[in-house]
Amino acid sequence: MNQERRLIEAAQSDPSRFAELYEGNFHRVYAFVARRVDSRDEAQDITAEVFHQALRNLGRFQWRGVPFAAWLLRIAANALADRWQRAGRAVEVPADEAEMKNEVAHGDAADVERRAMLFQLVDRLPADQRLVIQRRFVEQKSVREIAQELGRSEGAVKQLQFRALETLRSHVRTSHE
Amino acid sequence: MNNIAIYDELDQAIDQLLAGQPNELGTSSEAAANDAHAAHSDVRELAELARDLRDLPRANFQSRLRLELEWEAAGRAVTSDVDSRQRAAEVMPSLLGKRWSGYPVRRSNFALSAALHALMVLAIGAGFVAVKNMGPQVDKHVEISYRLAPYVPPLGKDESHGGGSGGAADKLPPSHGAVRAAREQLAPPIALENNAEPKLRVESTVIAPPELNALKTRQPGDPLSMLAKPSNGAGIHGGMGGHDGTGIGTGSGPGIGNGRGGGCCEGTYAIGNGVSMPRAIYTPEPEFSEEARRVKLQGDVTLLATIGADGRPRNLLVVRSLGMGLDERALAAVNTWRFEPARKDGHPVAVQMNIIVNFHLY
Repeated sequence: MNQERRLIEAAQSDPSRFAELYEGNFHRVYAFVARRVDSRDEAQDITAEVFHQALRNLGRFQWRGVPFAAWLLRIAANALADRWQRAGRAVEVPADEAEMKNEVAHGDAADVERRAMLFQLVDRLPADQRLVIQRRFVEQKSVREIAQELGRSEGAVKQLQFRALETLRSHVRTSHE
Repeated sequence: MNNIAIYDELDQAIDQLLAGQPNELGTSSEAAANDAHAAHSDVRELAELARDLRDLPRANFQSRLRLELEWEAAGRAVTSDVDSRQRAAEVMPSLLGKRWSGYPVRRSNFALSAALHALMVLAIGAGFVAVKNMGPQVDKHVEISYRLAPYVPPLGKDESHGGGSGGAADKLPPSHGAVRAAREQLAPPIALENNAEPKLRVESTVIAPPELNALKTRQPGDPLSMLAKPSNGAGIHGGMGGHDGTGIGTGSGPGIGNGRGGGCCEGTYAIGNGVSMPRAIYTPEPEFSEEARRVKLQGDVTLLATIGADGRPRNLLVVRSLGMGLDERALAAVNTWRFEPARKDGHPVAVQMNIIVNFHLY
């Protein structure tokens, strides 16, 4: 029996097992959502909404050979559409839900996977490099501010930043090969 | 291009990315030398990677969301009826397992909590009702009674309120008679006068409250004496009695009675021997003090009171104390009492008496 299917059935009978499905798909869902919204806060809100909804409706999920991630991304697409509809926002999104679902299924799946892997790889960076990446890109601090916070020179922080990106690129390349 | 220059160039590219400016690395690197070109493309590649990192989630977001889901999963494990829960969730979401205020609630826990709160409210309400109803009930368990008793002056000259004696060294004790009380004494009372025709006659008196003049009869003498034959008594200094003084009685001094010095019984009668007992006609009950009620103190408070001829109590003294505020309560209450005064020969007279107030809990 497929490993993912076993996880899904286990989570359906025991919701506390949902955490395993969550860990395996978090970055994928987040990457998908973050690409389509303007802010990190909004991306996090929608991602949370997707997983809460998935947990609530897990009993309805029926295994038909489609990856669980596809089901999650469909929930995410619907959540995005609902949000945009409520906001009356004119955005560059598919005109209707069907089109959006089609895009999810065929369009930027590779891009989502790449970004999801990148986010996941950040967690595996050495602590000092990860810290610099978080400060620089999430908190958007300057190198000088980070240097003051860490008590290091600006040159050292720039070097850490460079090496972190190099490490990420290396991992991405390795995973693609 | 050395490493430092590459670090700086990458940092500048990232600054531009974060500021939302277009990245110009590609255009500037085309005309550079080979090594510089390689460095530029390296930086450009890293900058492209950095572009995606702009969407990186916050460090703790993933773990926080997982915690939320675990809470929700724990709540959902209690019940599996999704549809019925969703239908009723709007009415009482926490009771039906819906997440509320950031964490899930088990239905059984919520129901237990609601039941405990209801019990607490009932207990508090019952407490108020009980306290409200307990006031009168406590009073029913309190009995406050009183009794009146004649005042018996203590024996002994020191404690007496007054007294007198005297005499003319006669062999007989002083004879029966009455006294003339006055606030000053010009001449002592004598039954047998040596000078029947004095040039200046003054009334013979004892130093005692003028109210005692109700006892006045024609013949001066000791009211308590049974001797009819006139006699001044065996004492000396001109009074009537067996001791020293110018008064009447068995004491000494210019007063009357068995004490020392002037005065008598503070101007009151002793109950008995023709003096009736006062009768209480208005006796509001003293209150039981809270302190005494708490420690269940009970017993008698004995008050010495002078009941005036007008029926009002005066000169209240606690002669037997109970404490815990009960003495004060007894004094305050008895001070408002009214009496039908004692009578002597049909006339109201002041008497001293004991009032014993009994505080009883049962």
